[in-house]
Amino acid sequence: MAVSEEKQMIVNGKRLDGRGFNDLRPISIKAGVLKRANGSALIEWGRNKVLAGIFGPREVVPRHMTNPKRAIIQARYIMAPFSGQEEHGRSGPNRRSMEISKVAKHVFENVVMTNMFPKTMINVDMEVLQSDGGTRVAAITAASVALADAGIPMKDLVCGVSTGRINGQLVVDLDKTEDNYGESDMPLILSPRTGEVLLHQIDGKLTKEEIAQAMDMSFEASKKIHELQVAALKGRYERVLAETENGNNGGGN
Amino acid sequence: MENEKRTIVVPGEKVFNDQRRVDGGYADAAGTFATTMAMVHEDRLVPLKGYYLPKPGDFVVGIVKEETFNGYEIELNSPYDGRLSTRETRERFLVGDVISAKVADVNEIHEPIIAEPRKLGGGEVLDVESVKVPRIIGRNASMVETIKQHTKSELFVGKNGRVYVKGGNTALAIRAILKICKEAHTGGLTDRIVALLEGRE
Amino acid sequence: MILDEVKEAYVRDLLAKGSRADGRQLLQYRKVKVTKGAYPNAEGSALAEIGDTKVAAGVKFDAAIPFPDRPQEGVFMVNSEFPILAHPAFEPGPPNENSIELARVVDRGIRSAEVIDLKSLVLEEGKVLGIFVDLYVLDHSGNLIDCAALAAMAALADAKVPKYDAETKKLLRDQPVGALPIAHKIVTCSFEKIGSKILADGTDEEEIASDGRYTIATADSKTICATQKSGAAGFTRQEIVKMMDIALEKGEELRKLI
Repeated sequence: MAVSEEKQMIVNGKRLDGRGFNDLRPISIKAGVLKRANGSALIEWGRNKVLAGIFGPREVVPRHMTNPKRAIIQARYIMAPFSGQEEHGRSGPNRRSMEISKVAKHVFENVVMTNMFPKTMINVDMEVLQSDGGTRVAAITAASVALADAGIPMKDLVCGVSTGRINGQLVVDLDKTEDNYGESDMPLILSPRTGEVLLHQIDGKLTKEEIAQAMDMSFEASKKIHELQVAALKGRYERVLAETENGNNGGGN
Repeated sequence: MENEKRTIVVPGEKVFNDQRRVDGGYADAAGTFATTMAMVHEDRLVPLKGYYLPKPGDFVVGIVKEETFNGYEIELNSPYDGRLSTRETRERFLVGDVISAKVADVNEIHEPIIAEPRKLGGGEVLDVESVKVPRIIGRNASMVETIKQHTKSELFVGKNGRVYVKGGNTALAIRAILKICKEAHTGGLTDRIVALLEGRE
Repeated sequence: MILDEVKEAYVRDLLAKGSRADGRQLLQYRKVKVTKGAYPNAEGSALAEIGDTKVAAGVKFDAAIPFPDRPQEGVFMVNSEFPILAHPAFEPGPPNENSIELARVVDRGIRSAEVIDLKSLVLEEGKVLGIFVDLYVLDHSGNLIDCAALAAMAALADAKVPKYDAETKKLLRDQPVGALPIAHKIVTCSFEKIGSKILADGTDEEEIASDGRYTIATADSKTICATQKSGAAGFTRQEIVKMMDIALEKGEELRKLI
């Protein structure tokens, strides 16, 4: 994390983009956006745009990775070479994206009922098409919706946010500038049903008390994100329900 | 009654306060929670999404995927392929053949043994979600009979969510099936399907 | 995917009767949609859709070192990715032959028609402007080349060239100096040959049934600038001339969407 004491990111109690300390950026989630994937979701979170797609449960490739007791999850988080505001990126995975893919995989291993599908593989693909800080939590939040869209049994819809410290102040949902010039960053994914933390990384100095407070802030913000996930998934069914119920009344059923 | 409340639930959402072992549900000390997109209706949990896991006795529509030294591998619109032994049949099959068959047995990891294969030919194959099959068939096969009557199509609805349609007004039969899938969670569906089949929609 | 193969017989049966599964005429395209500026972090971007097929394109500029054999020319590169979420048959790993062919056909159309004047991209001695076009297939329902070409061209047409700071030798991305000059809008039209029939804008099912593909890139209503023949089928001279007529005509329509 680049630390720069000079960059003023809080002015008159507001952040550079006008947000308060506990405010999320605008978030929109759409489920079922791809034809070929078994399940999919597009999340637009501030300037972030992440597309998640699911395949499987299907035959394991390579075969030697087959687990006779449960499905294996192969998660892939990757950034498009044109996704950043900086220079042209390299295509394909790098050390950062491979680490994120790994911890994302562990999140899904917790909630997906892998024991129902022994000897299979579930692919969770997260493509970051535009990035502006907080892409890993956006990607996992989208992938969770995509898994539900695919019909893969899960104990919960997971979601989360990155909270961190800028100019000595804890703030929710760091954007790229805040991440670059802030003091510390703490992405977190939780299972809203159990309250368990499924992904937790800290990059930068924070006291124990700050971490406890940052967790509270993340939990609180995640409630809103979870509501958006639920709405994205229920919306299509509820629209059809509403249409047909109106039709029934009109038809005198 | 068609007007009873239907509620849509998502994975992780509580559906019953007690612990129940139901399809599309997960029970722990706190109650029963949905594991897939589902509908709660008349105290039942009806999954709206899911994968086909073969069960003994199921009639299915499969596709011959591979020929092995003593039989065939059958693709079943499921994470698990079926095994058809050459001892089960005198008929020869080619890769790509569409068959109707019965699931004779399933091992502890869902892998099915297939029996009573019959080649289907000259029709169209439509894959839908297997959780929608009960709706396509309807109470006492009423829905599927309605479609057959109106379209004069031959219909074979596999429990695995694969439908074989042959002859008659194939396009109309497929439209009706897709509408059933889209509106499976709603009430008054039969009337709307009849309207579609009679061209009143 | 075995289901796709079953559909091959169905595609061929229908075609023998002169029709297609989605009810289109043989030479009719699906609905085409181009959204410019879809990913504004990139200096140019677009999302192109042909039916359910979706391809994203991003353009990035870098201050680059020229190729040693062309010191007075900018660098232009087209790359393509087939991420696994786009199709059940896509696998992770380095680009395969289909992905490389896609990028090269799009590249050839743009390069051969001199859409971008590479000689105008010299920043200073030993430093040139590099233009990197990345194509991302998001949903593969057939005819990736035409969709990718639309996305690439729309992203280039959307691109704003950043200012070059000679002192730091860096591009100032927040200070665009203007649009990237574009000499032509290149579009491609792809045809599939199935048996003796030729159809335009094949779906993924039709591509599986296909014996061969012919792609034609056009620069305007009269000029063809690149072609690619792919797959085992042979095409007669007559067939090729006919496809070119259609590509020149259809190309004008597609060009309007960029």
